[in-house]
Amino acid sequence: MTTFKVLEQNNPRVDAWEKVTGRATYAGDVYLPGMLMCKVLASSRSHARIVSIDTSKAEALPGVRAVITGADFPEIRFGSGALKDRYILARDKVYYIGEPVAAVAAEDEITAQEAIGLIDVEYEDLEPVVDPLVSLRAGAPSVHPDLESYEGYGFTIEGGNICTLLDADRGDVDQAFAEADYVFEDTFRSQGINQGFLEPMACVASVEANGRLTVWASTQGPYQVRAQLASVLDMPLSNIKVVPMELGGGFGAKLRLAFEAYPALLAMKTGNPVKLINTREEVFTLNGPRHPVTNYLKTGVNKDGAIVAREGYTIFDVGAYLGAGPNSGIGHGLGAYDIPNFRLRSYAAYTNKVYVGSYRASGVADMTFAVESHMDIIAHKIGMDPLEFRLKNAIKEGDIAVNGSRVPRNGLAECLAAVKERLGLPRELPEGHGVGIALCEWRSGAGPSTAAISVNEDGTVSLLTGSVDISGSDTSLASIAAEALCIGMDQVIVAKRDTDLAPFTGPSGGSRIVYSQGKAVELAAEDTRNKLFALAADRLGVPADALVCAEGRVYVQDNPPQGYTLGQLAAMSVNSRFGPIVGNAALSTLPYAPVFSAQAAEVEVDKETGQVKLTRYVQCQDVGVAINPMAVEGQLEGGAVQGIGRALTEDMLFDPETGAVRNPSFATYLMPLALDLPELETLMVRVPSEDGPFGARAVAEPPGFGPPAAIANAIYDAVGVRIRELPLSGERVLAALRGEGSDVAYIGDELDELKRAEGLAG
Amino acid sequence: MLRFDFLNARNLRHAISLLERHGDEARAVAGSTDFLVRWRQSGPGRWRPAFVVNIKGLSGLGRITYSPQNGLRLGALATVQAIETNAQVRRRYQALATGATSFAGVQVRNLATVGGNVCNASPAGDTLPALLAFDAQCAIVGPEGPRMLPLTEFFQGPGRTALQQGELLTQLTLPPPTPRTGSIYIKHSPRGAMDIATVGVASVITLEEDGATCKDARIALGAVGPVPFRASEAENLLKGRELSPDALGQAAEAARNAATPIDDVRGTAAYRKDMVEALTRRTLQHALRIAGGQRVPFEEQRRLAVQTAF
Repeated sequence: MTTFKVLEQNNPRVDAWEKVTGRATYAGDVYLPGMLMCKVLASSRSHARIVSIDTSKAEALPGVRAVITGADFPEIRFGSGALKDRYILARDKVYYIGEPVAAVAAEDEITAQEAIGLIDVEYEDLEPVVDPLVSLRAGAPSVHPDLESYEGYGFTIEGGNICTLLDADRGDVDQAFAEADYVFEDTFRSQGINQGFLEPMACVASVEANGRLTVWASTQGPYQVRAQLASVLDMPLSNIKVVPMELGGGFGAKLRLAFEAYPALLAMKTGNPVKLINTREEVFTLNGPRHPVTNYLKTGVNKDGAIVAREGYTIFDVGAYLGAGPNSGIGHGLGAYDIPNFRLRSYAAYTNKVYVGSYRASGVADMTFAVESHMDIIAHKIGMDPLEFRLKNAIKEGDIAVNGSRVPRNGLAECLAAVKERLGLPRELPEGHGVGIALCEWRSGAGPSTAAISVNEDGTVSLLTGSVDISGSDTSLASIAAEALCIGMDQVIVAKRDTDLAPFTGPSGGSRIVYSQGKAVELAAEDTRNKLFALAADRLGVPADALVCAEGRVYVQDNPPQGYTLGQLAAMSVNSRFGPIVGNAALSTLPYAPVFSAQAAEVEVDKETGQVKLTRYVQCQDVGVAINPMAVEGQLEGGAVQGIGRALTEDMLFDPETGAVRNPSFATYLMPLALDLPELETLMVRVPSEDGPFGARAVAEPPGFGPPAAIANAIYDAVGVRIRELPLSGERVLAALRGEGSDVAYIGDELDELKRAEGLAG
Repeated sequence: MLRFDFLNARNLRHAISLLERHGDEARAVAGSTDFLVRWRQSGPGRWRPAFVVNIKGLSGLGRITYSPQNGLRLGALATVQAIETNAQVRRRYQALATGATSFAGVQVRNLATVGGNVCNASPAGDTLPALLAFDAQCAIVGPEGPRMLPLTEFFQGPGRTALQQGELLTQLTLPPPTPRTGSIYIKHSPRGAMDIATVGVASVITLEEDGATCKDARIALGAVGPVPFRASEAENLLKGRELSPDALGQAAEAARNAATPIDDVRGTAAYRKDMVEALTRRTLQHALRIAGGQRVPFEEQRRLAVQTAF
């Protein structure tokens, strides 16, 4: 293995001091002279036509400076992706309880809230549809009856609530099922999930003296916010500067335009800066969470344990507006396995609920719960050890992945072996205790990435990227620059960026920053180093390839005293024929580079209450190279905790009649706390990636995928009951122990209808 | 209205006059751990008083005293943390100490008061089953002077109490336990801390001198009816009997039958009834151990009380 000077060391975060002293500034910390406060009126109806909105009483309230409704915005739809299916503020209709209908700017927050209460909206109710399986059916109430007229519209099927259908096929599935020794089918259902970030959405907008708009935002994607904001305000994006502030958690929820348009328009109307901070209740009701995913899986297996065919139908509820997730229905329908014949379908269905948002590899955790529970069920039914069954079918280097790409070298088998060894599997546990495993995979995030590095006269370097720091990514980028430039971490200044200052880059999400943005930093650092070497070679009169660098110096390899420090070279460069030293890099995407994680849970089940106690959690991930092992471990643990919450307690509940969120608070939406967790055991294997910076791989997404299936499988091992619906609550486990049907319903009938629509035999 | 006038009560008389003057428009607060949450929320159940009367500064209402003659006296402003860590409470009123330790988290326990927990009158209040099981009496002071009321009569419905306009709860009195008494509170909630009880059960067992026959049994249930209440039929099944596993099982079943829970976001009525039975049996088993003289360290009691850490 390569020896590193900076990487593979536990370096403290570059922003540790400002974070622990409370000096780091978040969007809510921005205070400007004359700043007004914004509050939002939320729809009280699930599905209704807006007959009229009377804002006169609100406008007359002393302290109120402006009130806006959908009519104040240009009549332009936008969307999370290509399909533009929503207005930034409701225009003629509301599609869910909680949808913003009007916004107020007032001199203080309480006046703004009072003004909200004075706005009269007259609605004419329409029939809502809340259940995605009902929404799929022909004849269901149509959420977007004019969908065909929307920009980016692709197709509709029958009722028109299906806004996406993705497919992936290979081989002859029906033939393979007919020839398989066994065929198994299962239906699984995951639950609604809130991202649970601690910092609510917040932003401040101000119109500058030159007429440009500045927005300080809590966002993972400043360039995405800029583009979408320009679109809904119908102004050139060059008129907008987005300043991403410190991020108090996003997990995907802050990838796109959220509420920035309201303060922006109110600032344009009043001439004053306007701030908006969501309440926690608004975070739950107005801001896209994840909706339940229903998964039907059918698998053909031979007696030797080889999987020969898979059919998967996944139904994503996207709420009122299409968002992320459906891609994972086909991208992760096989799991981490090589399956020669498959038919995968992924449907997105509209319902009258809050629109779906992104969350830590949207949809993949739902897919992993289904696939890895199904794998466990099959292993037990054919009498094979669950780990051996996985290993037998695991995808290997050279196989062709579901997306058609060749699988590169990877550490999947090493991860399974490490978990097996740590726990001593297979293992007999006492009565009421059990162990379960899950295998997770993620394709790694890529996308456009840029970086620029300039060398300062004191030998430090300034690193500029457009990416927002997310779970310590600035520290990792600084480490990569330091390693490549032969300097210490403390010699790298990470610039605070905004959209005017930094070159365009993709958002901070999808485990993309270290892997892809880090690659751009590595390349920019190489460019910088080449320029440093060229200048040194010129001044020393030696060829550049005779030079090496270490500890902040560039010198002749055979004669170390002959050389210059980076500071000396930077000072010389100013008047050299090359000019000041600036390195930069841009890349569009990187080849497919899956990352794998094996996870295992040990549980104890209380047979009288059904309560599941997690007693041990082990995970092993192939990280390629650990840029900063302490930070990698932190991400792996954090991800596992989110997955454990998803497995056991987190559950966004929606009213079955109205679609309203029933538990919009941290008192009723239960994320795990320290007392609920065992010591997390985190292992890493290092099979360097082919393209990542110094061989590093994406880290953040996979750890959260495994816990629901690993824990469900452990419950089965402990007490012999199979729970196919999340969360794995005491109530569900107890019902299953008593043989009562707490299980998710089989969705065969719905599938027949879908298959007929597709022209397949029902 | 989100706006309110914040009125600092200088003394008990001042507090009473403020509450009397502003009536339904006023709300008394001490730790404010319930108030701030309910004030911020927008949906049903929100509190939007025009006047907030701060009684936290009233002197003398935070004391916890014990004497063999008078039993335990809890000033209404005693914090849940003070009750949890009080040596006499831990020694003689285990169900109250375990009720307190299962309450929210340390930061909230440091602010929340027992008087607030009682006056909030949530069916799920964690100190309430133990207070009921120990036959707590409420000392109330109002414009007409002081009065005493058994806690069983204090709760009128979810969030509703017997307090009249201008009245304040000032103290709770728990009679001294007789020898050979043991008790415990067990809470069922999905999370190990910072969670509201799906079901809470407190049981108190007093044994006869023979160490086997039940002299007295008291069982109180939380979160399974409009108010926390005593399961009298279950208690009567145990009094005068030898406490065999069968006897405990019958009492647990009677407690289950006494419960009238609802379906809500924390669980269905059916599951709550199941939990009443399981938790009643468990509380009786542990109360019996303690009554029989077995030493159960507080840390073990704590693990028992918080169901997730069974």
